[in-house]
Amino acid sequence: MNTDPVIKLEHVRKELSIRNGGEELVNTILPDISFSIGRGEFTAITGPSGSGKTTLLYLMGGLDKPNSGSVYLDGEEISAMSEEDLAEMRNAKLGFVYQFHFLLPEFTALENVMMPLLARGRAGVGDARKRATELLSDLGLSDKLHNKPNQLSGGQQQRVAIARALVNRPMVLLADEPTGNLDSKNAEVIYTLFSRLNEETGQTIVLVTHDDHFAGETRRILHILDGRLDSDRKLR
Amino acid sequence: MKINYHLLMIAFRQLLNRKRQTILTLMGISVGVMVLITAVSLMDGLLQSFIQKIVEIAPHVIVSGDKVRPTVPPQLVEPSPGTRVDFIKNVSRDEQDVIKNYPRVMDLISGDSLVQLVSPSVSTDVIAMFGTMSEPIQLFGIVPSLEDGIEKFSKNMLSGNYDELGKTPDGIMLGSTEAKDFTSRVGDRMQIVSPSGKIYSVRVVGIFQTGINDIDDNCYVNIRLGQSIGGFSPDEASHLYIRVNDLPKDGIVAKSIEKETNYTAVTWEEKAASVVALFKMISGIVYFLVVFVIMVAGFGVANVLITNVLEKARDIAILKSIGFRKREITWIYLMQGLMVALVGSAIGCLLGYVLIEIMSSIPMASSSAGAIRTDRLMMGKSPEYFILASLFAIIVSLVAAVGPSRNAAKVNPVEILRGER
Ligand SMILES: Nc1ncnc2c1ncn2[C@@H]1O[C@H](COP(=O)(O)OP(=O)(O)OP(=O)(O)O)[C@@H](O)[C@H]1O
Ligand SMILES: [Mg+2]
Repeated sequence: MNTDPVIKLEHVRKELSIRNGGEELVNTILPDISFSIGRGEFTAITGPSGSGKTTLLYLMGGLDKPNSGSVYLDGEEISAMSEEDLAEMRNAKLGFVYQFHFLLPEFTALENVMMPLLARGRAGVGDARKRATELLSDLGLSDKLHNKPNQLSGGQQQRVAIARALVNRPMVLLADEPTGNLDSKNAEVIYTLFSRLNEETGQTIVLVTHDDHFAGETRRILHILDGRLDSDRKLR
Repeated sequence: MKINYHLLMIAFRQLLNRKRQTILTLMGISVGVMVLITAVSLMDGLLQSFIQKIVEIAPHVIVSGDKVRPTVPPQLVEPSPGTRVDFIKNVSRDEQDVIKNYPRVMDLISGDSLVQLVSPSVSTDVIAMFGTMSEPIQLFGIVPSLEDGIEKFSKNMLSGNYDELGKTPDGIMLGSTEAKDFTSRVGDRMQIVSPSGKIYSVRVVGIFQTGINDIDDNCYVNIRLGQSIGGFSPDEASHLYIRVNDLPKDGIVAKSIEKETNYTAVTWEEKAASVVALFKMISGIVYFLVVFVIMVAGFGVANVLITNVLEKARDIAILKSIGFRKREITWIYLMQGLMVALVGSAIGCLLGYVLIEIMSSIPMASSSAGAIRTDRLMMGKSPEYFILASLFAIIVSLVAAVGPSRNAAKVNPVEILRGER
């Protein structure tokens, strides 16, 4: 395994403020966290609810910026990038699965999955459709291609969101509780898919999970407690 | 950036999702475009038919007795400090302006190859009497055979025969307005009181109606009679009416006449300028009001887009997180404005076309209000109205879409994604 880091966090501090009437309450979510993830690593982030896992993932995906410290992706400091460059970078290198599987309600499952490919004209409509159909079939949704999100179950929506994150063959896949809504059988399908992608294509995968079984399938577990790195265990 | 099909799809489907509001906005634009097209057609039609009528039956150039150059210099004494110069009147004249030896002037003018026809006339303000009624009228003495080439009376006779005027030395032809006022008919005898107080007895030989109220107020006699009523000598005329071969050249003709004869020559454009200006002013006001209708429709567009952007903040966040840039998000909402505008204009054009057809086919009671008389609304028909109205609606909609589109592009994905649970 290549140890050249694909994601690197250096002394990242993240505060979120909430407005309560006139006064502003500043919450320090991540006081000071540093770690790096190597190319091709399959990593799980675990930790209790509210410990800052989603916040961490947003920072790694360039969706949010740290208050101080730096975040690097593929050698570039994304914490200093312009919004336009970040959008470009996300489309080219990242796949994101949100904790709350957000899909576009006006579009079918297939169209939702095709969207990242079409966003930048990375593929023609025909190729995009082919690739999206393949992925959805891999995830057991070949008979739901033309359903709109409100015609899908929570777990099915989750799988569509995963397909969307994978469709542009991202260098890094960031997944926030991708199996949260799935029964063990379908969770297993996702697992197998992730492991296969990681092994066959060397895709870097970082996922947040509460599921110890799922976490145990990965190669490394970062445990977060109150925004601090509590433990960093390499498995296998 | 390419105009990508999927951006259009996103824009289109979001609009479809808000069907009711979108339809209301479409209606606003359609009605605005329809009203604008109809108003432009109406105003343009009136002006065009007015000009057409004038060109058809009014002289293209009128030569009158006024000298081009004043005979008395306006300033006789140079004012210097300490002196004061008062003028009570610069030039005083008692006689009417006349064209002296008009047959010679006519020959001179007819020499111009651009001139089709020259017709002399004398005009006098007289009192006409019929039965117990008397009314001041403007009486014209004409050469009927020549004047018909200018004012086309023979085509516009309500009763009587135009040829009779030439054959009847004491004949008079009345404009329809006067004939109505006097309730006189062909064959009736009327009295004309000349400015010098002499009374002439004349016989009505015809009544005409051209549709231009200015002309339908007039009465015509033979030039000989007109000259003796007005106190002109037999070689004097007050005006020469000219019809040119090539209308746009009437200005050139007028200039060369002024140069050659030293008499004032006025083109029909100059004479009608005030009426045309009035038309334009009225149309200006109408357009101004109609333009507001479309502006209001523009608020409708802004409204749909603002709601869409607010409601779709989550979707915008998703699009941004999967790699859509600001400009693409902006584009989506500008497209929504454009789509509403295009469909709205198309419907508006269709409605406008139908409305113009309906309005121009409704028969109307002949009315003498305004400058011309018509039996139906004269609507202008030109593709320009449709193009202009649509363009205007599109521009207004796009301007209305700019604000919401920019707000859409400003959506910060994390804020939305965090908040949505
Ligand atoms: N918009 C916000 N403003 C202020 N504080 C916030 C905001 N969003 C989240 N937080 C706080 O930040 C902390 C970390 O949130 P985060 O979503 O990263 O937790 P998490 O580890 O993903 O939890 P979970 O396992 O429940 O998803 C929480 O204490 C939360 O209350
Ligand atoms: Mg979370």
